[in-house]
Amino acid sequence: MGEDTTGGDDVTGGLSTREEGETRLPEVLDADYVYDALVHPRRRYLCYALLTDAAETLPDLATQVAAWEHDVTEPDVTDEQHERVYVSLYHAHVPKLVANGVVEFDKERETVTPGQNAGRVLRALESMGASLDDDRGAHARSNMDDERE
Amino acid sequence: MTKGSSNDEFDDPGIVGEPDWVQIAQRRYDPDGGQELATEIVFAIASAEGISPTELESPLYERVDAAALEATLFSPTVGDDDAGQDSVTTTFRYGTYLVKVRSDGQIQVYEPTGDNT
Repeated sequence: MGEDTTGGDDVTGGLSTREEGETRLPEVLDADYVYDALVHPRRRYLCYALLTDAAETLPDLATQVAAWEHDVTEPDVTDEQHERVYVSLYHAHVPKLVANGVVEFDKERETVTPGQNAGRVLRALESMGASLDDDRGAHARSNMDDERE
Repeated sequence: MTKGSSNDEFDDPGIVGEPDWVQIAQRRYDPDGGQELATEIVFAIASAEGISPTELESPLYERVDAAALEATLFSPTVGDDDAGQDSVTTTFRYGTYLVKVRSDGQIQVYEPTGDNT
């Protein structure tokens, strides 16, 4: 990602009106829901967390995503950063992924688990590889045991 | 919340600015501020409700796709044009609230006055 500044107009075949301004992704992402799941950085982080088993509950996912976004370790995520990511995941991104069958959300236990359409999304994410840089992957690996709450 | 009155004439969220609604919270969304519109809307509603944003239970997504709204209202061709573009407003209901999002970044939360006079 990132080099995609050639102004390619319609890489995704008509999806460009959906969320303009967000990163455009290669056409390997042929299904709408795959594109949708990965086009937004926060949803991409969330899917990446699922892929790596970095976190399972929404509060933990929010910590993980905030740590990646701010490029800090999980204990260094501030309450405010956590709150903002949590709110955005809860009110926007998780429901969208649920609607697309990419994740399932248990409201009682606040767990986020892969849904029926997760396979293609996670495979696409895996094949993209470079979309998450090594630093962030390292954070993911080194902080899996951090219990925040 | 039930309305005590049979006067449902203003139930259509498209009709705003009527005396039936009173603004109780306001927040400014900065498209360049690095925050998501969805988050700002939730913060505005939470402030209207007097609770922490994390306590707001009903997912905003069930009422509005804020990411799509963000792209529509705040893409460069809408808000940033120097063509003297008037502000565009989107209105939706959230619980008993009426929420207005303007393309100048203003988020306003209204509640029914409950005054049937």
